[in-house]
Amino acid sequence: MASNTSNTINIAIAGVGGQGVLTLAEILAKAALAEGLNVRVGEIHGMAQRGGHVVCTVRIGDDASGPVIDAGAADLLVGFEPVETLREIHLVKKGGYVLMSSHIQYPVAVSMGKAKYPDHKDIIDSIKKFTDKIIEIDAHKIAIEAGSPRSLNMVMFGGIIGTNLIPISKESALKVISEAFPKKFEKINSMAAEIGLEQVKKQI
Amino acid sequence: MAKPQELLEDSPGKKVLLLANEAIARGVLEAGVRLVALYPGTPSSEIGNNLTFMAPKIPNFYFEFSTNEKVALEVAGAAAVAGVRSMMVCKGPGLNVAADPFFSLAYVGVRAGMVIVVADDPSMWSSQNENDSRYYALMGNMPLMEPSDPIEAKSMLLEAYAFSEQFELPVLFRTTTRVNHTRAPVEFGPISSRPDKIEFEKEPFRFVPIPAVARVRHPWLLGQIEKAREFSETSLLNFTEGEGDLGIITSGVSYNYVKEALLEMNISAEILKLGITHPLPEKKMIEFLKRHKKVVVVEELEPFLETHARRLAQLEKITVDILGKEQGFFSRVGEYSPRIVIEALCKINTCNTPINWADIDARSKTELDLPPRPPLLCAGCPHRASYYAIRTATRGKAIYPTDIGCYTLSIAPPLETADILFDMGSSITTACGLAEVTDQDIVASIGDSTFFASGLPGIVNAVYNQHRICLVVLDNRTTAMTGHQPHPGTGITGMRKEVPPLDIEEVCKGLGVEYVKTINPFDSIAGLVGEVREMVKWARENHKPAVLISKEPCALLKAADRRRAGETPPKYYVDAEECTACKRCLNRLSCPAMYMDPETEKAVIDETQCNLCGTCVAVCPQGAIKREAE
Repeated sequence: MASNTSNTINIAIAGVGGQGVLTLAEILAKAALAEGLNVRVGEIHGMAQRGGHVVCTVRIGDDASGPVIDAGAADLLVGFEPVETLREIHLVKKGGYVLMSSHIQYPVAVSMGKAKYPDHKDIIDSIKKFTDKIIEIDAHKIAIEAGSPRSLNMVMFGGIIGTNLIPISKESALKVISEAFPKKFEKINSMAAEIGLEQVKKQI
Repeated sequence: MAKPQELLEDSPGKKVLLLANEAIARGVLEAGVRLVALYPGTPSSEIGNNLTFMAPKIPNFYFEFSTNEKVALEVAGAAAVAGVRSMMVCKGPGLNVAADPFFSLAYVGVRAGMVIVVADDPSMWSSQNENDSRYYALMGNMPLMEPSDPIEAKSMLLEAYAFSEQFELPVLFRTTTRVNHTRAPVEFGPISSRPDKIEFEKEPFRFVPIPAVARVRHPWLLGQIEKAREFSETSLLNFTEGEGDLGIITSGVSYNYVKEALLEMNISAEILKLGITHPLPEKKMIEFLKRHKKVVVVEELEPFLETHARRLAQLEKITVDILGKEQGFFSRVGEYSPRIVIEALCKINTCNTPINWADIDARSKTELDLPPRPPLLCAGCPHRASYYAIRTATRGKAIYPTDIGCYTLSIAPPLETADILFDMGSSITTACGLAEVTDQDIVASIGDSTFFASGLPGIVNAVYNQHRICLVVLDNRTTAMTGHQPHPGTGITGMRKEVPPLDIEEVCKGLGVEYVKTINPFDSIAGLVGEVREMVKWARENHKPAVLISKEPCALLKAADRRRAGETPPKYYVDAEECTACKRCLNRLSCPAMYMDPETEKAVIDETQCNLCGTCVAVCPQGAIKREAE
């Protein structure tokens, strides 16, 4: 909640189960806690996770007590996939930001020919009905560049820091990454976050 | 995930970002709990997932993944009766399984603290119903506590153990999904020690509730609840905050939404926040009702507190408007949010909401028609191959009783092999019932963990009563849906000890099943289809149950093993030259790793998602799906 209560920053993260949405939410919250900020994370586990649409919330600030972000209350919507971003667009508040990865992951209904995947232009037009502050990166491509498609969520993490909307420094962000993952994946994940951060910075 | 190692740290004062489930696992350590028994169930799963890895490192501590919830409650109940602190954990429907011992435990009571954690699931993110477990506390006369967030999940748990010991009664500790799966900074407290083995002191005329004993224990129980009520009156877990003409009574996660709603609307109210919701602090509630002309009750699911507020107002002849579900201000369905509370308060106060939700909803409706993305079987899931074969062998015409696990997702097209489901183990028993009243073939399916949890009595029933049912045991070597916990077929215990696993084929034979075979679903799809056909024929001709065990580890486990080992096995791909775009692979398997390339209009395998099962190779009529050379 909290669109008027200015000391709370609401971040909604949407994607497909398996893309690393939950891990990103936790890492982001850990970085906030490392900065001495109060934080709440809302997650969904179990059946709802299996390859389906997933949305997590991260709320930062003294007045954050519950985990829920209502429609029109998110400062930032982070989307791992175009359609999944649009599915949660109602969460964005007036003047809020959308950080979206442009790489498409086709839903099974589309593969089976039972539904159509909307054109990129139509997706952007629909997002613009809610906000024109759209930052788009191909996080999948960046992740492969960094060394593994599984580092997609860390590209988005870097991107979030790059928006400058969240009071988390690059140093704290990289420190949390180094603590959270096994050593052999640290380099790829840090690299993914750094490229994500730079690409978003350029667009801000 | 906070690492189990971190939860073991002896560092009082440290603040760690924890799920309420992780906070409860930490609370077990701080409260000096000696034994925890549970069967995994989302949204409570992470409690056991952490405890199993913490357990071997905690002195004098025992943890087990019990066979099912009834077993878990009996194991934990006995420990508390003997005189050490214990805990049982389950999801809402799990308490239904454990209902029988639940009622007896309240009658006999406990010598040391006992907590039963039950995680309800409003909005049914991972459950088959959203029943409100708080009524168990009323029906069984067991004290009830409701934490509102991860911080309270730990602090209230410590209070629950003291409370349980003071009144010699187990405490029902009721959470909801939005508490279990919320993360917040939780401060570690000191770790308590646990006693070594103790001597069981006999007291049969308390602990064996034959009618003569039970008749004495029932009035004792009612008396204890009244003593506990006095405690509830002065407990800091039931408190008021804020000031205002408006009164709001709330408990659990809704308390957060109330606070945020008041802040957002910039209005004041006095909140009565209840942590102990049975026995209720009735005097405190009566005083609260007398202080206000309007009292709004905010609680998810059933009008539990609301009904009691009305009862007390009537008893005390208090003139007060109690506003809640009865007048339609709140719903009995689904989770709440700050928005739901704001909209109800605005209706009551006749004011406008601070966010124009009507406008947002209207704009959302004009959004594009988005393709749905429901949860589905993972890429490489062995269940996909099994269900493809079941459906092909029976041409979709058999009845397919299903059970509780990932495989219930086979309800979706194109597999469509889920026709009836009640609860854990019902695949076998509903098949028995259907076999007697229809003439259709019946192919039921059950997972390996569910087989051990609740399937065995059904098998005995089918054997003894000679029901002509076919059962496919989808043995993926784990309890996949809830996060890969071990079960009696895996050879690993809750203490991470290696033990001889129970063999499902041998168990079936031991129970008298004459037709039992084990196959690997990835060996040959055509072979698998043939096996299903043969089983169906045998059951029909012999009028007895037949079992086929489809054995292959969960794709997620295998993928994790490959990543750990750094293996990169040869990949599958579609030879675009040979693909005729018939879409048979997509339409028969609905694998999330396959799609049609919009430019080439040929099927493509997304190698970043493919888990290398190779099922699609057998389905392609052109032989266009191939594997790279080693």
